[in-house]
Amino acid sequence: MSRRGYTVRIGVLAVVAMLTAACGSPGKPVDPAPVSNAAWPQPAHVGGPDSTAGGGTDTSCNPQASLAPSGTSIADGSTMAKIKERGKLIAGVDQTTYLFGFRNPTTGNIEGFDIDMVNEIARAIFGAPEGRVQFRAIPSSQREDVLTQGQVDIVVRTYSITCARKAKVQFSSVYYKSGQRILVTKESKVTKLADLSGKRVCATKKSTSLAKIATDPAKPVPVSVDNWSDCLVMLQQGQVEAVSTDDTILAGMAAQDPTLQVVGDQFTEEDYGIGVPKDNTDMVKYVNAVLDNIRNSGAWQDSYRKWVEPSLGPASPPSPQYQ
Amino acid sequence: MTSTATAPGPPAPASGPAPPKPPPAPEGRDRAGGRSGFLGLLDLPGQGIRAIIRSAATTPGRLTVIAVGLVLLALVAGLVATLSVQNRDDTITGVIDHREPLAAASQQVYRSLSDADATAASAFLSIGTEPPELRQRYERDIAEAGAALAKAASDSGDVADAAGPVDVLNQQLPVYTGLVETARSNNRLGYPVGASYLREASELMRAKILPAAQDLYRVDTEKLIEEQDSATGFPWLATILVVALLAALVVAQIYLTRRTNRLLNVGLVVATVAVVLSLLWGAVALVVQGSLVGAGQDDGSHRVDVLVRARIAALQARADETLTLVARGDGAAYEKDFGTNAVQLAGTDGQGGLLGEARSLISDGDGAAKVVDATKAANDWFKAHKTVRSQDDSGQYQEAVDFAVLEDKTDGSAPAFRRLDDALQDAIDVGRQEFLDSTHGGGSALTLLAPGLAVLAIVAAAGATMGIRERLREYR
Repeated sequence: MSRRGYTVRIGVLAVVAMLTAACGSPGKPVDPAPVSNAAWPQPAHVGGPDSTAGGGTDTSCNPQASLAPSGTSIADGSTMAKIKERGKLIAGVDQTTYLFGFRNPTTGNIEGFDIDMVNEIARAIFGAPEGRVQFRAIPSSQREDVLTQGQVDIVVRTYSITCARKAKVQFSSVYYKSGQRILVTKESKVTKLADLSGKRVCATKKSTSLAKIATDPAKPVPVSVDNWSDCLVMLQQGQVEAVSTDDTILAGMAAQDPTLQVVGDQFTEEDYGIGVPKDNTDMVKYVNAVLDNIRNSGAWQDSYRKWVEPSLGPASPPSPQYQ
Repeated sequence: MTSTATAPGPPAPASGPAPPKPPPAPEGRDRAGGRSGFLGLLDLPGQGIRAIIRSAATTPGRLTVIAVGLVLLALVAGLVATLSVQNRDDTITGVIDHREPLAAASQQVYRSLSDADATAASAFLSIGTEPPELRQRYERDIAEAGAALAKAASDSGDVADAAGPVDVLNQQLPVYTGLVETARSNNRLGYPVGASYLREASELMRAKILPAAQDLYRVDTEKLIEEQDSATGFPWLATILVVALLAALVVAQIYLTRRTNRLLNVGLVVATVAVVLSLLWGAVALVVQGSLVGAGQDDGSHRVDVLVRARIAALQARADETLTLVARGDGAAYEKDFGTNAVQLAGTDGQGGLLGEARSLISDGDGAAKVVDATKAANDWFKAHKTVRSQDDSGQYQEAVDFAVLEDKTDGSAPAFRRLDDALQDAIDVGRQEFLDSTHGGGSALTLLAPGLAVLAIVAAAGATMGIRERLREYR
């Protein structure tokens, strides 16, 4: 072919190629502001099931049995004498559990049923509780640690007595009997843990409630947090379907949000005791004596009527059992 | 083309038999061997170069080639130099008007958000209704953060790395304020779940929002440094071309002197003077500009950067202090973080760290006095913090809170931190003014240089043309 024809063909091909490119499909319009994730934030340290939860499956001991009291006199050299010398009773408590241990925003004080117990013990040691108690707010997961490390004298924080925990710390006699129930919204049809199969249920780390959720045959999905209030936050934010723990704590949550209700029967028995470091046996006996006084003198009923009776109805103090 | 040679035609034959017809041209080509029509355009460059080479064989041709070469070189050198200077000028203006204010805005975002977090925590610690001055401070912080964020966001189209952090900030800031409001409402009703919402808000701030603000500041500062460096770089291409032009002019004059026995060619001398003038003017202006913009970086934006990082450490430490008190026994992690930030701010002895670095950088003027004030305020604050911690650890919680939060306690944390923050703000302002003064001076050193270089290039081209034309006339 002649050079002229050859060049003409190349020119024609080039023109055709350019036209095809220009007439191609325009594609889709550009999304100016793509949003990948619009999730609600979460409280800090949200986790999953906790293998070190306070195992309620160990039944080798009698959780309710404690050391018999030996009176409320303080012997020299005893733990109580050291506390009296120090001038302050250091108590590990909660500041987020409404009705049992919480910081009252109006007064700035920590108040609640558990706090009343602490104040009674301080009154027994010092004569009056005002200014004699140092409250240390601790998360659920550290209740054993602060006792084994001796950072506090007592822990009064909705502390269920279990045999696994008894291996590390000592407990007083039972001062409150509770049971695990479920907190859901008022529209929910859930009445028992079996209805929550595959659904997310919240409890705090290392609690007996979390262990119960994790081992339940209906297989709910356990979600663990640092504080009970964080569970309420997650329920209000729609990040969990239910919260399951002792009905006392649930009553406090329901009191803060009228769209929630406590449902179901008690499916465990939780015995609350006051935690004491393992070596301080004299402290345990002293606390048991103080608790006996509280039960008999009506102080228990007064506290109960003030904090718990409006939500859970009348009750009487549990009778103690001694070894 | 100004070729004065004529193409030799076929020799005219003597009268006699009719001259033979010229051979027919091959198809598509004309008699001279070039192609016809559109395709003939493709042959032009080849024909042109052959014509130039032919004409350079003669002196007039050579002179013309020299003239054309000089003119082209002058125009190209002038164009490159003008554009390069104009570009530099635009960069400096951009740095002053746009880039540095953006770095300042992103710093403001961090500062406002961190202060909002600490203020919300302080408000939580107070008993009863929230004190109105804390509320106002929180509102002001959020408004300042929003305004600074809008400014920072206006640039995120240009700087790809800034788009991510700005996105996070824009999306998460309303979520944070929502959580703080929920905490506030629950607090008013006396419900302790308000404290959990506040901790959730603080967690969001510390885990997502503040890191994004810090990223944004880092990205903006790096871009600022990049642009400052590009405004002080050496203009290689323009310099090479202008020096080449000067060399070409000198060589051309030497050639002419040898050829025509005339010592000076007025036009070419004018052209040479113009080129030398532009070289000198450009050199002086660019040296002055470079040193001023460099001073703007060293004495201005670099110092501001150190002070900003010190401020960030101080703000983080303040938030840690208040959150330790909010956590009330559960705040060991916050206290550890305070220790880390305090060491970063002032070193282990209170005289080192970022404040020490700032002191060694800023050795004169108002800025130095402010940094000294800041160091003293930081040490006062650490002393007050020790008191707060000892009171909290021994159980005097309310005293610890008052000492940490109330503004009217003379030795308390709050007034000491306020003094530290104010001193750092003043020192930053001094640094920014230094930056502005120096960089603006650098920009003014370049005034009229760009049009001046263009004019001198045209003068050089005209001079070369006139000079060579004078000599060419002798050949007509």
